[in-house]
Amino acid sequence: MALLAQYVVGGLAVGSLYALVALGIVLLYRTSRILNFAHGDLATFGTFIAFALISTAHWPFAAASAGSLLATALVGAAFFFLVIRPAKEATLLGKIVITLGLALILQGATAVFWGTDTKTMPFPLSDTKVYRLGEVVISQISLGSFAVGLVLMAGLYVLVQRTRVGLAMRAVSQDMVAAQVLGIPVRRIFALTWGLASALGAAAGILLAPVTLLDPYMMLDPFLKGFAAAVLGGIDSMPGAAVGGLLLGVVEALFGAYVSVKFKTTLAFLIIIAVLVIRPEGLLGREYKRRV
Amino acid sequence: MRTATRMGVLVAVLVLVATVSVGVSQERGITDTEIVIGSSQPLSGPAAFWGQGVGGGMDAYLKWINDAGGINGRKIRLVLRDDGYLPTRAVANVRELVERERVFAIVSLIGSANAFAVRDYIIENQVLWMTPTADANMWAGFKNKKYLFVGYPGYVDEGRILTTYAAKNEGVKSVAVFYQNDLYGQKGLLGIKRGIADTKIKLATAVPYEVTDRDLSGQAVKLRQSGADAVMLYATPTQGALIVREMAKIGFSPKLFASFTLADPVMFQLAGDAWNGVILTAYFPVPGTDPKVDAMLDTLLKINPQLRQSPFNALAGVSFLEPFVEAIRRAGPNVTRDSVVRALESMRNWNGEVIRGITFGPDRHQGLNRIYIIKSENRQYKKLTDWIEYPVGF
Repeated sequence: MALLAQYVVGGLAVGSLYALVALGIVLLYRTSRILNFAHGDLATFGTFIAFALISTAHWPFAAASAGSLLATALVGAAFFFLVIRPAKEATLLGKIVITLGLALILQGATAVFWGTDTKTMPFPLSDTKVYRLGEVVISQISLGSFAVGLVLMAGLYVLVQRTRVGLAMRAVSQDMVAAQVLGIPVRRIFALTWGLASALGAAAGILLAPVTLLDPYMMLDPFLKGFAAAVLGGIDSMPGAAVGGLLLGVVEALFGAYVSVKFKTTLAFLIIIAVLVIRPEGLLGREYKRRV
Repeated sequence: MRTATRMGVLVAVLVLVATVSVGVSQERGITDTEIVIGSSQPLSGPAAFWGQGVGGGMDAYLKWINDAGGINGRKIRLVLRDDGYLPTRAVANVRELVERERVFAIVSLIGSANAFAVRDYIIENQVLWMTPTADANMWAGFKNKKYLFVGYPGYVDEGRILTTYAAKNEGVKSVAVFYQNDLYGQKGLLGIKRGIADTKIKLATAVPYEVTDRDLSGQAVKLRQSGADAVMLYATPTQGALIVREMAKIGFSPKLFASFTLADPVMFQLAGDAWNGVILTAYFPVPGTDPKVDAMLDTLLKINPQLRQSPFNALAGVSFLEPFVEAIRRAGPNVTRDSVVRALESMRNWNGEVIRGITFGPDRHQGLNRIYIIKSENRQYKKLTDWIEYPVGF
């Protein structure tokens, strides 16, 4: 029983980070219908900015994290203004392919600026200091990143559901033309969404860095897991992304524990296929009907 | 009819191309002033640390050789390609090195799975291949090794020796293995199983990971749950460090054993203090125990200070090149594949600055058949045993 609990705790800790990645993907998809394949690389880029601010400029961790979120948000917004918006004629698929290009550019830039070798991120929480709840052990770092993850998710929920900006974002996602007619600055809302989603990715990256170590490819696996979590929860549902992430973390941990470690990595892909076949709208998503 | 004619023309062209390329390939990669060699390394990806260390070491060593005038008037030029530790990219790289860069030899090439993926191509094209940085046991029983020379241990032999040492000298009763789910990890696991059978201790569990895996919390719980008093690692530096951190996170600190592939002190930086006291093997004198090796390391660091992070891997890069450079020297002004092969086969218990005791012969292309055990403490190495020999397999 204690063993089961240990697996669940481990799964929740990593699942909260999958959820953060998934939220960034979903946030952007809801508003613009663009599946951002550069999300993982934006996150990596942001994490490296934090790393540089800490190790080269000697900023304290909190300031460096804030600086990294801001910088990544600016990169995301700039990408919208400089590339996505001018590419008005591109189809949706075309825009998705553009994000693949951005992914390659960011990956290359990260490798050029910081090298491809593995680095460690200085982190204010310890991963060897552990708390014991009966026989279940959880490290300070897992607990801390889980808590920060939940706070960020709650903050995002409040922003989208309880503020005027959030209302505008939801309006744009439901009917862009109507929103424009009502005087909502659609372009600025899009840029804001790009920035917010990118910053969310950077936050996930910074929290993941102690788990994955730091290199230009660190987000490859977490991005795929976040994508699977988004599909699982419903790709246009924010609560779905959160639930999907946590669920994927736990299911993966239990699958690795009781079925097969060898196929643990494959599980996320099986889940994507299964969800798309059985319930394409995901766990919490609404059935997607397009008005003709 | 037209199709048949076209086919006929095609066949004729192919025959012609084949004849021409055979004619040209006689002295591939050799000019009066230069010898071109190639290598494919993981300069990015989870094993980037190995590639950067080994590739950087090879590059710095050759710069040192070339700055001193080269060998018999020829400079050696290294063409290095990144494969990201992916076998498919290694295949593409090697084809490019052989067909476009027309290299005289391939030196090193990291990764057992990668070496396995390219070996048929290299052997069929009769390219001289010096010390694939891969499990040496895979060559036993393999045919057509005329141009293949290996001065690198096999993971089966290493795993067996490491396990035997753990049982006899460290009082280990039960071993858990954390291994990479490819040829590298599987061969290490096989060696550990043989050592376990020899010494009658227990294999508590064997937990695999994939090269792409980054979340290893589940694996750590499995290792802890097995009740083993020692954990042996056959992993890349990234996942090796991650699993040690994950084990520490859940309060599990077993005695650690690892392949020499994790011998670099950067592991302290990646894995933290949990890495202290890890027991490894080595196949050349480690820095701090031998003046010649220390002098070579100083030379490398003067050329490329970044190698400070990876002294063991940088020296390993030198150790792969040394017998090759010596063979070029012995071959004299007339360097051909066959004259280099003859020179290599004349080496008996040959010592370089780094690699020691290399013996090749017409029937022996496994040049190295000994390792020894070290302990890594506070970023310093401590020698625990003398050389331990294993049988020559090919």
